[in-house]
Amino acid sequence: MANLALRNLVKTYGQTEVLHSISLDVEDGEFVVFVGPSGCGKSTTLRLIAGLEEVSSGAIMIGDREVNNLEPKERDIAMVFQNYAIYPHMTVKKNIAFGLRSSKASKVDKEARIQEVAGILDMVELLDRKPSQLSGGQRQRVAIGRAMVRDPAVFLFDEPLSNLDAQLRTQMRLEIKKLHQRVGNTIVFVTHDQVEAMTMADRIVVMKDGHIQQVGTPEEVYHSPANSFVARFIGAPSMNLLPAELSAEGLTLAGKVLDAGRWAASPVGKVLLGVRPNDLYIDEIRPLFEGRVSLREPLGSETLIYVETEHGEVIARADGRMPPEVGATIGLGARTEDLHLFDAASGVSLS
Amino acid sequence: MALYRNLSIRQKQIVWAWTFLAVPVVFYVVIRFYPTGTAIMISFQEWNLLGARTWTGFDNYIKLWNDPVFWKVFRNTFAYLLIGTPLSLVLSFLIAYHLDQVRFMHGFMRMLYFLPFMTSAVAMAWVWRWFYQAVPIGLFNNILAGFGIAQIEFLNSTTNALPAVLAPAVWAGLGFQVIIFMAGIRAIPTSYYEAARIDGVGWWTILTQITLPLLRPTIVFIVVFSSIGFLRIFDHVFNMTTNNPGGPLNATKPMVLMIYDTAFNSFDMGYAAAQTVVLFTILLCVSLIQLRLLRST
Repeated sequence: MANLALRNLVKTYGQTEVLHSISLDVEDGEFVVFVGPSGCGKSTTLRLIAGLEEVSSGAIMIGDREVNNLEPKERDIAMVFQNYAIYPHMTVKKNIAFGLRSSKASKVDKEARIQEVAGILDMVELLDRKPSQLSGGQRQRVAIGRAMVRDPAVFLFDEPLSNLDAQLRTQMRLEIKKLHQRVGNTIVFVTHDQVEAMTMADRIVVMKDGHIQQVGTPEEVYHSPANSFVARFIGAPSMNLLPAELSAEGLTLAGKVLDAGRWAASPVGKVLLGVRPNDLYIDEIRPLFEGRVSLREPLGSETLIYVETEHGEVIARADGRMPPEVGATIGLGARTEDLHLFDAASGVSLS
Repeated sequence: MALYRNLSIRQKQIVWAWTFLAVPVVFYVVIRFYPTGTAIMISFQEWNLLGARTWTGFDNYIKLWNDPVFWKVFRNTFAYLLIGTPLSLVLSFLIAYHLDQVRFMHGFMRMLYFLPFMTSAVAMAWVWRWFYQAVPIGLFNNILAGFGIAQIEFLNSTTNALPAVLAPAVWAGLGFQVIIFMAGIRAIPTSYYEAARIDGVGWWTILTQITLPLLRPTIVFIVVFSSIGFLRIFDHVFNMTTNNPGGPLNATKPMVLMIYDTAFNSFDMGYAAAQTVVLFTILLCVSLIQLRLLRST
């Protein structure tokens, strides 16, 4: 086990720079999730850590050892691939044993280790099967088993759940988290699914266009997004962002002036007002927005309502049993502490 | 029309299926099965193309069994098969494996390897004949002479002639097999190799444990395909030994050439048909055995 550090990591393909000086410290035993839209550089970062791609500049440290010029096998890492990369012509046991091929351990030790891993992953009875006889979730477990068998310092997961159906994904998410609590290795997990990131991570790294946008616990990333991108990316449905203006009189939202409150000291100018759908409530007395309900999405316990306001469309969360009718005009309010302000030009949070 | 309308959906599907199948069925019956059946029938007859056919029972087969030329030709045919197939398999894999890693002018290189396959076997055979000539004409002997090595009789020696004829045949088939192998290699997901790199196994393990097992279907196809090709070898032999087809002393004669000789030089159709049936049986057995051996895991 070891900590992992990225120091000013840059990756270029020809003239194109895809990672722009990434720096990050991952503690020993931490579960870090890289999340971002496709093409944000999260998988590239993982492949750099794995040693499958060469670092253009900067350094990768695993357990205080610079590994830039080490082969993947010398880095003490293991990786689980999106398509599992388990060999179709080998039994489950052989697949798991493949991770031990280059190990110097005795045959007896290897066998014991395979049995131990199979025990942890609850697939002792599957050892003699071929991958074609396994379900998607079981194949995923074989891939994890092959990574675990070597007891690496760092586990790397490259979108391992995206080939599974929704129900299985939820289940595997839980299994991986439990597994982490049990074995305690450092894990770097890449996903494009913010729900996966929120539910599994100790810390989330939000990336976009080769830059880290924010690093923080799920709570931090959700409650105090560093910028409008993170605000919109994390949380479903997305945060509502509405154009507003901060001036000496206060916060102007489509002609209505609100008290600037905790932003009184912030520089004046155009801003984006952010408010999460579930922080909005129906408030006919002192509404923040007023508008007509144009669409309802019932989700059972709650209903999402799309409200057309003069600022644009706002999504709000309403009671699942008695949501407002489509066509009704309603007022929506929010607590001041649930509001977020971002600079309109740079997107940086003003809190 | 009313009759058709009253059919169930399943029956309508059957009607349509047979309507479309009728064309290939007729084609196969007329072009394939009828001649095959006739050939088998003729193998039990005596016929010189012009005269009457007379039934002779198993005479043709008995004659074949007692014909020393047949056994020589039989051995030759299997020599072509047993040297040609493994040799071309190994060569084409080696070329494909390395060509796959070449980034420089990849498409052009691939085209170069495919070129021989598109060339006429007759033209190729004649070029290779020139290669094999004695000094001062032949290319190979000139090179050997340049190094002061004694001349080699390629096509005029009973021991060298068969490999000398086989070489261009192997060479001509390589292009096709290389393309098939490369497609097979390309189809293996890169994550298998990345996983192996992370597991830290050597190139030999990767080759024997990952690449080759995953190429199994490709290898089965190439083995069966090239075996059939070598068992039916004819044009290379015929064109490289035109003065004395299949010579010297039947050293290069394959079964198809013997059939050709019997049929169109000796006009002994019954005997030629018997040889054809034997060749067909051999082809069938070899292909079935190979499929059985290579397909099972």
